[in-house]
Amino acid sequence: MGFVVTSLIFLLIGIIACLSTRICFNKGPSANLFHLTLVLTSTICCWMMWAIVYLAQMNPLIVPILSDGE
Amino acid sequence: MGEVARGGGCCPPMDLFRSEPMQLIQLIIPMESAHCTVSYLGDLGLLQFKDLNSEKSPFQRTYAAQIKRCGEMARKLRFFKEQMFKAGVSPKGSTTQSDVNIDDIEIKLTEIESELTEMNANGEKLQRTYNELVEYKLVLQKAGDFFHSAQSRAIEQQREYESRQLSGESMEAPLLQDQELSGDSSKPVKLGFLAGLVPREKSMAFERILFRATRGNVFLRQTAVEDPVTDPVSGEKTEKNVFVVFYAGEKVKAKILKICDAFGANRYPFAEELGKQAQMISEVSGKLAELKTTIDAGLSHRVNLLENIGTQFEQWNLLVRKEKSIHHTLNMLSLDVTKKCLVAEGWSPVFATHQVQDALKRAAKDSNSQVSAILQVLHTRESPPTYFRTNKFTSSYQGIIDSYGVAKYQEANPTVFTVVTFPFLFAVMFGDWGHGICLLLAALYFIIREKKLSSQKLDDITAMTFGGRYVIFLMSLFSIYTGLIYNEFFSVPFELFGPSAYVCRDDSCRDSTTIGLIKAGPTYPFGVDPVWHGTRSELPFLNSLKMKMSILLGVAQMNLGIIMSYCNAKFFKNNVNVWFQFIPQVIFLNSLFGYLSLLIIVKWCTGSQADLYHVMIYMFLSPTDDLGENQLFAGQKNVQLVLLLLAGVAVPWMLLPKPFILKKQHEARHGDESYAPLPNTEESLQVESNHDSHGHGEFEFSEIFVHQLIHTIEFVLGAVSNTASYLRLWALSLAHSELSSVFYEKVLLMAWGYNNVVILIVGLIVFIFATVGVLLVMETLSAFLHALRLHWVEYQNKFYEGDGYLFLPFSFSLLDEEDEML
Repeated sequence: MGFVVTSLIFLLIGIIACLSTRICFNKGPSANLFHLTLVLTSTICCWMMWAIVYLAQMNPLIVPILSDGE
Repeated sequence: MGEVARGGGCCPPMDLFRSEPMQLIQLIIPMESAHCTVSYLGDLGLLQFKDLNSEKSPFQRTYAAQIKRCGEMARKLRFFKEQMFKAGVSPKGSTTQSDVNIDDIEIKLTEIESELTEMNANGEKLQRTYNELVEYKLVLQKAGDFFHSAQSRAIEQQREYESRQLSGESMEAPLLQDQELSGDSSKPVKLGFLAGLVPREKSMAFERILFRATRGNVFLRQTAVEDPVTDPVSGEKTEKNVFVVFYAGEKVKAKILKICDAFGANRYPFAEELGKQAQMISEVSGKLAELKTTIDAGLSHRVNLLENIGTQFEQWNLLVRKEKSIHHTLNMLSLDVTKKCLVAEGWSPVFATHQVQDALKRAAKDSNSQVSAILQVLHTRESPPTYFRTNKFTSSYQGIIDSYGVAKYQEANPTVFTVVTFPFLFAVMFGDWGHGICLLLAALYFIIREKKLSSQKLDDITAMTFGGRYVIFLMSLFSIYTGLIYNEFFSVPFELFGPSAYVCRDDSCRDSTTIGLIKAGPTYPFGVDPVWHGTRSELPFLNSLKMKMSILLGVAQMNLGIIMSYCNAKFFKNNVNVWFQFIPQVIFLNSLFGYLSLLIIVKWCTGSQADLYHVMIYMFLSPTDDLGENQLFAGQKNVQLVLLLLAGVAVPWMLLPKPFILKKQHEARHGDESYAPLPNTEESLQVESNHDSHGHGEFEFSEIFVHQLIHTIEFVLGAVSNTASYLRLWALSLAHSELSSVFYEKVLLMAWGYNNVVILIVGLIVFIFATVGVLLVMETLSAFLHALRLHWVEYQNKFYEGDGYLFLPFSFSLLDEEDEML
């Protein structure tokens, strides 16, 4: 799975989460906007975290060197 | 003010983003319905009364007498509570909300109090008498024993003496004995005596003093009483000795009496004759039994009374507290000139206008008032209080923000993002899904038992954890996520998302410990490749990763903060802040640290060997030099020159124009103001108060300039130091993973290695305690504090003023909480 595919999965999950909060907790436009913000922020945070770790391992400059004991 | 919030946006206003629009309202309340009105408003709890009599002392106010009455009633209730606590009667929560008048309650309370005090006094008197009698009985018994034994011995001696006389004078008999004895019997000395009880710890000293004071002309006998005796004077249980002291002469007696008083020795009359003693004992026993029944009857009566109080205590207490707060509030209102109305002023949310009006109408109806209270909205230059409508989920996050500073009225509220970013940054430092699950279980425990726990009283630490249960809940969810990213479960990696991307260079795997493995497959799809764990290059790799991650996350969050400042400037229609604060700030931060973030990503994507430190440092030191092998993309040098120029321009851009523009605006307004009517639109007020914090009137250009200078320097230096500050994410996350791997390897695996059940169990226990104590409690705390700091300082200093004040409505429901706190 490449970077783009997984990012799309994150996007999909984000959209699903937004829709489900909209359906499950429909409490007027103001509250919905707040819920949307929460879901979006958390999706973006999680995606950033994943993307950073993924990108860092894409072209490794350091490779794992096993310990002598093993 | 509501128009401002709703104006010019495609979206509806977001919950929590702005504090509720408030208005200053004035109520003119007829005197006769004032009490009822305030009571209904207290039930509603959406109006913060302003003190209109602040120049008056509490005693000069209109309702000082009523408050004093309420205080007196509260004192009585406290007295009842104390008495109930002593008697072990707990107040029962009664649900019967009967309509009781406060005056009736006052009378009832007074009655009950006098009854109770009388009962207590009587009970005390009876108890004292009872204790005295108990002591007397003891003295009678013990001292009776002395006399009895002494007498029997004397009779024995007498008998021996007589038998010796009868057998004739033997040679061995001492010559003087006869004379002595006969002398004694011929000239009998009348000996007096005293009997009583003395506390055991004082008995030695008592004896010594007696001996010295009378020069040894005294005979003291003591016996210990086995069980502790209740002292009639102090009412405490003490261990005592019964004593009988024999003396000769009145002078000695006076001395002994004084000593007895000094030692707290209670004396009791005592008869010498045996018959009289027996009679007294039986008399005392009879009295004791009689007293006992009286005391028991009194006690049961008292318990009955207290239980009776207990059933109504909560209700009375609530009523008295309400009454007191109502009068406190009434004292804040000012009396109308005609003395027929009370005038109240207070802040209330705009949405509550109808509810307030409704309460006023109901009050007028219920108190049979001729006219209803009048509500009118006042315009003011004063800044309204800040009121966020939070629920049980958001209130703890709002609490985190409020403890830094209450938002200025209608200022952008950081809470909307903090709800997510706070637990997220915590989890970046606390990434371990095993620990995350433990934390989740704890949070779930509090959430599931929410109803039960919220009704009972908790100790400080539990109450704090309970209050933050939803924060902990999200923190644990994010820690599970970041734990999966870091691939750590109690520091053990799992191949959850497919096999590792790294393999040996050849079949023999000889190089794996020297040169290392080689990446063969596609990158590990989710999180850190499990192969890194335990390798020699693990730390260099993770350090580089986490350090860069901290900077990326930090730059993102700081940009979010600057965007929030844009929201504020737009909301308060402050274009100066948009053009001369927001834009140069964005340019400055991103031309330096945004660029660094970009370089990090480019480096990862291309796999370049370039040294980013070198690039950043030489971007300042010698921007025109060739980058050489550190070049990441074509034209990098020119890009850097442009960015450096932009950053250089952004600083004077932030510093210079704003004070001059403010000066110009002020002059223009000042020129207008002398002729134009006072501006009554709120917008112009907002703009003004945003421009110069020193309010209206004088415009000190130098002060504004210095203020702007400080602000600029703070931002420029802060851009560097705040970015560096985000490296704490790396440091704490590193510390957490290292600590947990130490506990796992040095405790659990080592214990496992001994192949001994006992050692394994000990190792397991140590591991569990270390994990819970150090990782779950201390690490959670430290990661929490660091996340707190990152939000309070690095994020909020970009936009948050936090100089508002909280909306504290007059509400009976808040009253209860306050009182329980005390």
